[in-house]
Amino acid sequence: MTICRRRFTALSLTAALAGRAAVADEWRLSPTGVVEKFAEKGITEILGAAISAAEKTARFRALFKEFFDIPAIGRFVLGRFARTATPDENARFATLFEDVIVYTWSRRFGEYKGQTLKVKDNAPDGEDGAVVNSDIVGNDGQTFVVAWRLRKRETGLRIVDVIVEGVSMAITYRQEYATIIQQTGGMAGLLAQMEKQVAELKAKVG
Amino acid sequence: MLPRRFRPFLPVFAAGLALALGACASRPTDPAAVAAFDETNDRLEPFNRAMFGLDQALDAALIRPVAWTYREVVPDPARRGVTNFLRNLRSPITLANNLLQGDVDRAGQTVGRFVVNSTVGVLGFADVAADLGTPYHYEDFGQTLAVWGVGDGSYLYLPIIGPTSLRDGFGLAVDNFGFDPVSWYSYADNPSWVQWAYFGTLLVDIKAGTMAATDELKASSIDYYAALRSAYRQNRAKEIRNGAPAPLPTIPNGDGDPFAAPAN
Repeated sequence: MTICRRRFTALSLTAALAGRAAVADEWRLSPTGVVEKFAEKGITEILGAAISAAEKTARFRALFKEFFDIPAIGRFVLGRFARTATPDENARFATLFEDVIVYTWSRRFGEYKGQTLKVKDNAPDGEDGAVVNSDIVGNDGQTFVVAWRLRKRETGLRIVDVIVEGVSMAITYRQEYATIIQQTGGMAGLLAQMEKQVAELKAKVG
Repeated sequence: MLPRRFRPFLPVFAAGLALALGACASRPTDPAAVAAFDETNDRLEPFNRAMFGLDQALDAALIRPVAWTYREVVPDPARRGVTNFLRNLRSPITLANNLLQGDVDRAGQTVGRFVVNSTVGVLGFADVAADLGTPYHYEDFGQTLAVWGVGDGSYLYLPIIGPTSLRDGFGLAVDNFGFDPVSWYSYADNPSWVQWAYFGTLLVDIKAGTMAATDELKASSIDYYAALRSAYRQNRAKEIRNGAPAPLPTIPNGDGDPFAAPAN
């Protein structure tokens, strides 16, 4: 009871201090809570749900937007190129980047074999962030080490990067896209290639 | 995780180096581009991309079908036994590098694992030591050089071996010729097919273990070469840190927090 009340007080205090939109759920303020909720919703509402592939993709897009700060990831991935790109190019990139991830992940939903996410601990990451360490455990006993980087936003914590076995999704996209921009001579080249990739991925997801 | 296909075919390596020297990527002049060039550190990119193309063709025609069949035909526990056996066999390499890195703790783990697994674990086929609380770890001479402060020189892509660097390619040769018990066996006038069978098994074992991850990376990327280069580098950095978490944030040339919300 005491713990509950104290937590509640801390929560209202945070909300009052922020002076902004009230945070609806307490788990949004706990790094491990956010990651656990994301995994739980992903497994029960998408991976394990008896729905069509198209419905799974649609639900994943909504879940992804709710839990990840996609614009921040996109800005990080583009890095210095975002500053020289036109507003129109940046907007097209944002749309395409979201599609690339949604369709890349959706492609594999049919292969889900009951893997679970075990959250281990969390540590501070920068001024207002946290990193959550977890294991993805398959039923054959194979384990992947996965770290989640989170940042505080007005409506709670948002995921900004997923690091699997030391490989960061954001850094890998950033370095790959930088190479493509350099080789094709600019943003237009990258956007054209992303458009082609999204079309191909969409065809595979069905 | 990611391709750590080792085993140098030294002639390929030497020929590669000679070719590579004649095919260097030119360094840009713009400061931001220089920073990116140094971050990528792929001074041999034209050569590497050519080798990558060759490796992908070899992979599609031979290595992948064999590894795929192996995964389909041989049951899970048997494949795990082979992996365990090969890992136990390279214990001298791991031990030598533990010691060269001054890591007495992990050297002790390596010896303990070798003794337990070679006996109770029936020639290394069962990883009994892991069940007893001492999990497997991987060390090589490239990591030792990194711990000693040697930079990786440049990214290097070699057929069969896959992604590596000048430093790690050299490390592979040192491990293979210096510390590998199978090489010692071959030096002693024993039949050479033993070493070839060993290389072949190792190659199939590693490919079967990394296939899922590389297939995924290939499907999610536009420029698979560039994505693999980045992923390999990051995974390699984690190996050198012995699995410790990366220092965060790790990104150069950002203004403050790389994931900052936009200033309104």
